[in-house]
Amino acid sequence: MNIDLTHTHVNEVMQAQNALYNVIDPELFVNVVDLGLIYHIEFPPDDHIRVTMTLSTPHCPMGEAITTGVKNALEASFPGKVIDIQLTFDPPWSFERLTAEGRQQLGVK
Amino acid sequence: MADVNIAKAPANDAVLPFYATGALAFLALCVLLLVSPQSLQTHFFNPHLLSIVHTAALGWGTMVIFGAAHQLLPVICEQDLYSERMASFCWYTLTTGIALFVFSFWDMRTGWLMITGGALVVLSVLLFVINVLLTSRICTRYSVQKMLIVSSSLWLLFTVVVGLLLAVNLAFPFFTRSHLDILKLHAHAGIAGWFLQLITGVSAKLVPMFLLGKAGEEKWLKYACLFQNAGLLLFLADGYLNGVGDRSLLYGALILAGVLCWMRYLWTAYKSRLRKKVDVMMKHTAFSFCCLLIAFALLPWVLYAQGSRWAMLYGSFIFLGWITGIILGKSFKTLPFIVWNGHYKHLSGKVKVPLPKHLYNERMVEWQLPAFVVALFSLALALILDNLLLIRLSLVSWLIVALLYNINVFKTLLHKTKTLE
Repeated sequence: MNIDLTHTHVNEVMQAQNALYNVIDPELFVNVVDLGLIYHIEFPPDDHIRVTMTLSTPHCPMGEAITTGVKNALEASFPGKVIDIQLTFDPPWSFERLTAEGRQQLGVK
Repeated sequence: MADVNIAKAPANDAVLPFYATGALAFLALCVLLLVSPQSLQTHFFNPHLLSIVHTAALGWGTMVIFGAAHQLLPVICEQDLYSERMASFCWYTLTTGIALFVFSFWDMRTGWLMITGGALVVLSVLLFVINVLLTSRICTRYSVQKMLIVSSSLWLLFTVVVGLLLAVNLAFPFFTRSHLDILKLHAHAGIAGWFLQLITGVSAKLVPMFLLGKAGEEKWLKYACLFQNAGLLLFLADGYLNGVGDRSLLYGALILAGVLCWMRYLWTAYKSRLRKKVDVMMKHTAFSFCCLLIAFALLPWVLYAQGSRWAMLYGSFIFLGWITGIILGKSFKTLPFIVWNGHYKHLSGKVKVPLPKHLYNERMVEWQLPAFVVALFSLALALILDNLLLIRLSLVSWLIVALLYNINVFKTLLHKTKTLE
């Protein structure tokens, strides 16, 4: 996920990203940010946070646990906000979405 | 939340009792073998061996596969399981049916007890097939994996119905064909129809997922499905009409071609895997595939060599090598995640929680693989040498494998929720 430093909500987006580092994919043991599962984090004018994300496999058996983890982490970091998760497989997740840290944690050369 | 459906995992009581019972059946299987090792030195149609084989095929293999299938059908079909209640209910009928069946075979108590056991197994399979068909019917798209799961479940139904007829025939003879010939057809419908096609379909989905590799070209999976079914259908038709004979090798070769196509499909996932280090669970799987190929290689000896030892060796590589190997490995690729989901899904992201790999003893799974390899090859050697003492010794090592597996399965199942901070 790339963060636009000129964005109005850059601080909130970075805070959200930091919170999501605590959400671990239970199968791969890597957090959802370094796995590249998070596509966008938006702060619309209302009390919502909109997260557009994907899963490493469509209908991943741990999908519900991962999306619940994202919701829980953001609710803890932004009390009172309503978290909307938009799950998408367009574009689908691929290995190229891993960050350098994610690659290292997975042992990928 | 999302406008994309992420299939929900079924409730744990549709899955976990099958794993627990399957693990206990594996232990019971090893104990029964140890109690009656001489049954491995006689003709395969003997009461103790029939009891042992049904403990392996139904109590161990089918029981664990039912549990795993209830969990994985939503993943493969990308839809929720059609009926969790039906899935939970069939545990009761399957467990009772197998218990009656195995008990009746031990002393060859033919009659209504055995027939009732068989009928309960048929009822359980019927419920399973309905669940598979109705879950896959609502699939949004066609896939060969789905077709293999459906065909395997239909082959299972065929197998258990023929099994029930065999049980009836023992008490009230009505077959116009040889009982032993029909028994061979029944056994191979189960092996090449149920187990092979189910494992082919499920592994085609799971192996690329576990290795983080690319799925192979779908044409290989289509060929696998075609050859496996064609070989089996020809074997059954010819076997029924003309008896099991020389042409069985030809049909075996067709099924083998289907197996090789399936392995070619998986090879792509292995070659393109992101995780270069292959974990011990996947090594179990790779070893189990070798056992299947060894079983195929033994077919000429089973058909033409004198005595029963080659048939015993063939059966051992199928049930104790291939099917057991794949379950020993895949159990710890699925069960800890299922249990973890029940304990921690709602806590994820709130507090630090253990990972699924912390729910079982990883070291013990590492010991399990060499123990399993030693147990299998020592039994194979003992069978080739036809030596009762060596058979007994190898069966002790099987008991050790079963204990290691059971301790770890029940450690996972009995896990209590805890946080790390």
